[in-house]
This record gives sequence, structure tokens and C-alpha cells, in this order.
Amino acid sequence: MTFVIQTENLTRKFQTYLKPEGLKQSLVGLFRRNYEYKIALAPLNLTIESGQIIGLVGANGAGKTTLLKLLSGLITPTGGQARVLDFIPWERKNEFLKKISILLGQKNQLWWDIPAADSFDLLTTIYDLDHTQTKKWTHELAEILNCTHLLHVQLRRLSLGERMKMEIIGSLLHHPQLLFLDEPTIGLDIVAQNTIRTFLTHYVSTYRPTIILTSHYMDDIAKLAQRLLLMSQGQIVYDGSLSGFIDQAEQKQKIFVKFVSPLKDNITLDHETFLSQGDEFVELEVDHSRVGPILEKLFKSVQIQNLKLEEVDFEEVMRQFLEKDARSRKTFHPISI
Amino acid sequence: MLGAAKLSIQFQFEYRINFFSDVFLSPVTSAAIEVTLWWSIFKSTGNSSLNGFSPESYLAYALWAAFFARISISWMYDFLMIDEIDSGRVNAILTRPISFYEFYLGQFMGYKFLCTLFSFVVPIGVCSLIHFQVSLLRLPLALALVFYYLILVYTMGFTLAALAFFYNRVHAIPMAKNIVIWVLSGELFPLDLIPDPYKYYLLNLPFASGVYIPVGYLTGRVDSSLVLRGFTSTTVALIFFGTLGHLVWKKGTQQYSGTGA
Repeated sequence: MTFVIQTENLTRKFQTYLKPEGLKQSLVGLFRRNYEYKIALAPLNLTIESGQIIGLVGANGAGKTTLLKLLSGLITPTGGQARVLDFIPWERKNEFLKKISILLGQKNQLWWDIPAADSFDLLTTIYDLDHTQTKKWTHELAEILNCTHLLHVQLRRLSLGERMKMEIIGSLLHHPQLLFLDEPTIGLDIVAQNTIRTFLTHYVSTYRPTIILTSHYMDDIAKLAQRLLLMSQGQIVYDGSLSGFIDQAEQKQKIFVKFVSPLKDNITLDHETFLSQGDEFVELEVDHSRVGPILEKLFKSVQIQNLKLEEVDFEEVMRQFLEKDARSRKTFHPISI
Repeated sequence: MLGAAKLSIQFQFEYRINFFSDVFLSPVTSAAIEVTLWWSIFKSTGNSSLNGFSPESYLAYALWAAFFARISISWMYDFLMIDEIDSGRVNAILTRPISFYEFYLGQFMGYKFLCTLFSFVVPIGVCSLIHFQVSLLRLPLALALVFYYLILVYTMGFTLAALAFFYNRVHAIPMAKNIVIWVLSGELFPLDLIPDPYKYYLLNLPFASGVYIPVGYLTGRVDSSLVLRGFTSTTVALIFFGTLGHLVWKKGTQQYSGTGA
């Protein structure tokens, strides 16, 4: 088994300047300032095997991007060790940088003032690639992403989705072994999101790179990732498969029942949550284990015209987790699911 | 580095109005002001020479100094590098197999090469119309010194820009540096007007290599031995600022938080 990433007690703290409001405090701040230290990444031990697609998920400020920046060598840790493709990432050796790529959805990596084709030409020189072959590869990628006609348009004149396609091409020019994708579909419309997901699925199945993907769109994670790393307050609180995560989560199921005729008496059910109730319908949220007994009771007591059971999906479980996480923010302990 | 130089040339050509204003309007305006100033001084005092040099010599100096000064300044790139670090756009360089120093030096030199190529048409054209005491055969050596000096100016700018890793918005620091260089380089007036021993010290500082030595050499105020001294002082300063810049950058990237990504 080959590990592309191994970390040992990897830690990162950030210093933040706290400024109380008001002009007087601004004046005080000229001479004396208060700083606060925030642990963005608590001691973290992690191993990632070659060829895996890892979905890195967590609420804002959970430490996902910090982890990505550390593993790509963009920032230096305040403690611990990491080896990525057998390099210490923050030494930023050229041999290492030629094997990885990082795409930051909220930051342009290409040059704003020139067309993407010119940026790709410069990247070809920077990565010391063959110009003819890279040009061919660029056109191949552009064809798949349906953006060949945009290659010679100044980057600043492209839409967000079009720019992201160019950024993706730029990040793949040198065939990286390890790809860090930080919110690659952020701000894109559904069609553009889908194009990029389809492209990444195709790319991954063909070239088998290792990918660490962060996204707030659970569809990205559900459709692309094989392994899920869930982060909260700088720590990994879940590491496993997506299905395992759903199974472990506290599950509720929604049941919607429409009756043949209006009820004369209210239904009495113990320990269940009524989401809504009318004369001709009832909507319940029940524990997974209680679905059978409740349906049995309903069938015995009323005539049912329509019955709808809503499956618990990954997005819903994640939403519940993130809400729970946000509520527990005041205490600094990892939360369990 | 050649790729970065090419990028900066492409960038300049993208924005034509800005490029032509930068290359022609700015140095021509500056030259016009300085030529008028020296002409007025000689006209009002009625002197036929100052410090042993004729009015024509001063006019030629004023004309060429404006264009050399335009080449030897770095404020645009000082601010650009600070903004790159401040905004986190530096990430695009840090995660690629090229050094930030090398990348922006390439761009800077490409831009300066382009500026020289276009803007020097003006003083060369003026000198072919008006008989000034200028030896154009000396232009290649004068330019060689300025381009060598540019590496130093860039390295100083790079060192100051690296402070942006520690503090936000440090634009005022390179601005102060540029004002000091403006006076010490001889753009404002020929440094030989300064009395000894101050003149001796000024000529031994590397900043004279930006304007005074190359323009003085071109207009016959100084000889090649001072040009050689310019190369030497620039080398010493380059070693000093190169080392300092390397240390500040290394320390800065260690505490960088990857802003905005």
C-alpha cells in the first residue's frame, strides 16, 4: 500500500489582532494591541493512499482549507510533521511542486489580464513541459469542457463558470499525481457544477490521480469521493466511507400520509414528531427503527389514499451534522456523531 | 524567467493607452519640466557655465536624466508585489515550481526592456535634431549599468514587499525608499553640484548608478572609471540586499497564513 500523504501531529495556529470598536480604540491600537491565537488545525494524524478521492467536509472555519494549504506547501505548520509524495511540502521543492496542483475556487491561479492560452503557454515554460504536447493536451481538455472557443479571450472577460473551466485546465496541464481541489464548483450554476463534476469523474477514471476535494456542495462529495473526512474545529471527527457516515448518523425518516376522507378524530401516536397535520393528511418525523410499527398502526386506524416515505440522503445527514457542530462551537471539543 | 518577461510584455500591450502614457507622456513631461527649470536658471542668472559645465550640458543632462530615471525606478513593481502578498494572489506562485523573486524579476526586466526600447526614441531623436554634447556610442555601457542597477532596485523592492507577510498595507515604506532614491540617484540635479565630501559619499553609493553615472557618462560629465565604480558599489549593495531579502522572505513565508483562500 503506497501512502501519498502521511501526517503526524500536524498543527497550525493563527494569530489574530482583536480591535475593539471606536476611534479611541484605534488610537490605542497604534501603541498597544491585543492578539488572540486560534487553533486552525489541532494535532492531526492522517494517511492517504495513492489513487483515492477524498472528500474533505466541514463547516466554515473547520480547518479544511488550512489542511489543504499545509499539504500543498502553501503554509508552514506550527507543529508536527507531514510527508506528501515523500517530500516535506512546505520546503516547496520544485520536484514536489511539479507533482501536485492546487485549485482554489475562490482565488484566480491564472493571470487575469491575458487570455488563458497565454497563461497556459507560460505554465508550460514554468513546468518545463513540451510545448507541442501540452498544446494538444490543452485542446483535449478544452474540448471535454466545451470551452475551446474561450481559450483566446482575456480571463477577466470570462464568466465565473468559464474561468473555473480554465483554472481546471491550468491545474491539470502538468498531469499532477496529487490534486487539491478547494471548492471547485463554488458560485457556479447547476449546469456548470454538473459539467465540472462530469469532467472530474471522467478525468479521475482515466488518469487515476489522488484528489483531495473540499466543497460545500454535498453533491460534489457524494458523486466524486470514495472516502470522507469530516472536520470540525480543526480535528477530523469522521474518517470513513460515505455510506458508513450515513449509517452512523442519528437517522430520522419523514412519512407523509394522505387519507381517503377527512378524519373525525385526531390520531394518537406516542413519542413521534408531527411536522404538520390537517384533516386529510399528516406528516411525521420518526426514528428509522419505528417506521414499521407506525405504518402498521396507521393502516389499522385509517384509510390511506397516498403514502410517501422520504429517504435520508447524504446532504440531509450532513446538514444535521453541521447544524449540531455550529451549536457546539462554544465548547472546544470534538463532537461525535 | 524569459517566460515571465514575455508575460509582462504581453500585459503591457494589452493596455495600449496606459502603455503609451507610461512610456512617452510621463518621461516627456518630466524632461520638459527639468529642461525648462535649467533653462530658466541660466537665463535668469546670465551665467555661461555652472560648476564648469555649459547650459547645453545641463539641458542634455536634464533631457536624458528624465528618461533614465523613468527606467531606473521600481515603484510599480514594489506596489504590485506588496498587493500580491496582501491579497493572497502570491499563492499562485508559491505552489508552482518557480520562485517569486525570479518570476517578478523576469517581469520587471521585460517591462523595463520594453520601456527603454520605446521611450529612448525620444531623447535619441531630440539629440539628432539639436546639437547636444552627447556621445551615443557610450549608450550601451550606460544602459548596461542601469540594467544591472535595476536588479538592485528590484531586490530592494522585493525585500520591502516581503514585509507584507508580517504587516498589511506597507506601501508607505517603498514610497519613502523611492523618495530617497529619487534624490540620491541624481534625477533631480547632477550630483557633482554637491560639495565635497558629501559628493564623494554620494558617488560611492549604488544609487548614483541609476541616473547620475550613466547620464553623466553619456553627456561627458564623468569617465568610465566612475562607471566601473558604479558596477562595484551596485554589486556590494546587491549582495547585502540579496541576503537580507532572502532572510525576510524565508521568515515571511514561514508565518504566512495563505490569505484569502
